[in-house]
Amino acid sequence: MAKILLVEDNEMNRDMLSRRLERKGFEVVMAPDGQQGVALAASEAPDLILMDMSLPVVDGWEATRRVKANDATRGIPVIALTAHAMVGDREKALNAGCDDYDTKPVDFPRLLGKIELLLQRGKE
Amino acid sequence: MPSLLPMRLFWQAVAAAFVVIGVAGGVVMLSVGGVPLLLQAAGPAAVATILSALAVGLLARQVNITLARNTEKMRLHYERELTRKTAELRSTLENMHQGVAMYDADYKLLTWNQQFREYLDMPDEFFRRDRSFIDYLRYLGERGEFGEQNIESVIAQRVEQLKRVHSFERTRPDGTVLDVYRAPTPDGGFIAIYTDITERKQAEQELMRAMEAAEAANRVKSGFLANMSHELRTPLNAIIGYSQMLQEEAQDAGQSDLLPDLEKIENAGKHLLGLINDILDLSKIEAGRMTVFIEETNVASVVIEVRGIIEPLAAKNGNRLVVDCPAEFGTIETDVTKLKQSLLNLLSNASKFTKNGTVELAVARDSDRVIFRVTDTGIGMSEEQMGRLFQAFAQADSSTTRKFGGTGLGLVITRHFARMLGGDVSVTSRPGQGSTFSLVLPARQADAISQAGAAAQQQSGTTPRRTVSGDVAGECAVLVIDDDEAVHDTVGNMLGREGYRVLHARTGREALDIARKERPDAITLDVMMPQMDGWSVLTALKNDNALADIPVIMLSMLNERAIAVQLGAAGYITKPIDWGQLSTMLSRLGGRGGGARVLIVDDDPEMRGVTRRMLERSGYIVGEATNGEEGLTWLEANPAPAVILLDLMMPVMDGFEFLERVRASATWRELPVIVVTAKVLDASDIEILRRLTQRVIEKGASTAVDLRGAIREVLKSRGAAAKATTA
Repeated sequence: MAKILLVEDNEMNRDMLSRRLERKGFEVVMAPDGQQGVALAASEAPDLILMDMSLPVVDGWEATRRVKANDATRGIPVIALTAHAMVGDREKALNAGCDDYDTKPVDFPRLLGKIELLLQRGKE
Repeated sequence: MPSLLPMRLFWQAVAAAFVVIGVAGGVVMLSVGGVPLLLQAAGPAAVATILSALAVGLLARQVNITLARNTEKMRLHYERELTRKTAELRSTLENMHQGVAMYDADYKLLTWNQQFREYLDMPDEFFRRDRSFIDYLRYLGERGEFGEQNIESVIAQRVEQLKRVHSFERTRPDGTVLDVYRAPTPDGGFIAIYTDITERKQAEQELMRAMEAAEAANRVKSGFLANMSHELRTPLNAIIGYSQMLQEEAQDAGQSDLLPDLEKIENAGKHLLGLINDILDLSKIEAGRMTVFIEETNVASVVIEVRGIIEPLAAKNGNRLVVDCPAEFGTIETDVTKLKQSLLNLLSNASKFTKNGTVELAVARDSDRVIFRVTDTGIGMSEEQMGRLFQAFAQADSSTTRKFGGTGLGLVITRHFARMLGGDVSVTSRPGQGSTFSLVLPARQADAISQAGAAAQQQSGTTPRRTVSGDVAGECAVLVIDDDEAVHDTVGNMLGREGYRVLHARTGREALDIARKERPDAITLDVMMPQMDGWSVLTALKNDNALADIPVIMLSMLNERAIAVQLGAAGYITKPIDWGQLSTMLSRLGGRGGGARVLIVDDDPEMRGVTRRMLERSGYIVGEATNGEEGLTWLEANPAPAVILLDLMMPVMDGFEFLERVRASATWRELPVIVVTAKVLDASDIEILRRLTQRVIEKGASTAVDLRGAIREVLKSRGAAAKATTA
């Protein structure tokens, strides 16, 4: 089953989203900040990354830029998650190299749809 | 000749009569006895001619005398009149609070009043006919009133100004503020009027301060709320998420009896989220942080998406949802997110206030506008209720809140959105007969610009005009000076999107005040403005030492580039404004860097990249070197930078050696160096760096902020030092 890296600093959100993803059969690895996220992306080689944008140490935009700058991790699709439901943030996330974008609070079925779509695209 | 006798008698009588007239006129001309003899010799016709001539001559003389008397009378009359008028004028002038002076075509003083003498503080010698206004300006220049500017060029500028009506403010050494108004006169001279506006200025400033305090308080509140969005939404996230999760788990575990309660928690959470979102949106609008993102989008697909969300809501109250929008309706250029949110607001209201009725969404095109009409068969509203509909925090009836829920902010937000997009929203309704809300948006944004202007003008009495917008915390500030609200809206939005802090001024006066207080990084200036036109504002800016170096971009309908350049404008754009052009021009001019050169010496490409981007955004020109040796090569090949940013630990040649070499060189000895390092410094390092550099910054999360501040500080102290040495 696919492995998802969840980069999120809020413990409750991390716990909640990881449990829901696990119940859907995903293997979930977690990082609490952007720096560890970038490191785990390289060491764990996940199939997809869910990236919160306002993160400590290194923020989500910069972390995504680093993931996409590294040949080893460039191919991993990244979905940006942010509480800022602003159009500018969507542009900013996509500019940083994110493959898709979703706003928090997470609409789980919608997010699942986006995850499946990106994973499928990766297989093709 | 029997007929001769009576004829002679007749002529004698005539002659006698004329002589009598002549004598009566007081002049004795001829001997009476001679006349008949002459008459007899010359014959009656000739005599008649002579006598008539004589008579005319006498009459003319009489008339001349009378005329001369009359002229004298008139002269006296006019003299008296002139004296009276002059006295009137004099007493008018002397009793005025203003100082008035008139100059002739050679700019020599013709008339003035005492106030003028007092206000102007002009030495007596300039009240002589042989001294002109130009001499006076030269005197002012020599007295040092033009600062370091070239006196003759200031004079040339001022004289050029005299050809147009212009006005400016002057603060005298005693703090009195004078309003100086000058206008050319038909004979080529000019009139100058000086008004003491000290009190008005003080009142204005106090009012301004009070207004600013109020605005600041409101901004702080709105800014706080906007910043709180993350803090407010995160716990809600958890509430909604966990309740959803528990529902999934309860279902899996077969405990479906828990489901209704869990659903209630989820719904309450979602409801609260909706309310918070409304309040935050309104705060963002009020804080000037709501930006518009325009894209071309298919109307039908927006309608389908909205329908999908509203259908369950309508069904809940037993309503039938009717949507009338042909699939081939076409596109609209607008902010899709805001359009969707507006439609959802209107439709969810309609669904909420209607039971077992119909809610209809109809889309129509009216020339260059798209009209979204939401009609319901619900409870409707009275005139009075409609009046309060679009006001924040004033739901039509406080009992409505209890009955139907919601904050009542949805419509307020919808109207704000509609206006931001160049349109508006309106309502028609009757109690008990349902309501129709019409959202009208321009189909193309070029139309929106003019419509937004019209709407803004209509609204100018009620809508608070922005004084600051865009990215309020933005590093770079641009002052927009224009009397047209549409320009403030469009330029403001555009610059805001680009991350500028935008300051707004509607008049030249206001602009100068703001410029002095805020020291913006760049200014856009409209040429055609009432009262003080763009050229006068430009001249005033360039004449003010503190403001002269702020780049000004002129915006005009006409091509007057030559004048603009002559008066010191940094750029010139013809209206309608080309955003790309303005944006490029600003990024080139703007930023406090103002084109100063910075050399980065660092072996870490990522660090170089981040720093370069940051500096370039702030208007610096950036050079890069990957170690000390490359740094020296760069210095040899390029003009000396304003500052060097130096890493310490680098291959080939490290930062310490680079520093020693730079300080040993005669050319580079004085170059400011800021050390940016991750190295843990020991006492000897610190000693060396303190001796050889201006500032040490540790690499870390706040490097960028520290760096920008440090560079600015270094450049500022260098600039001051340079000024001190030249002065």
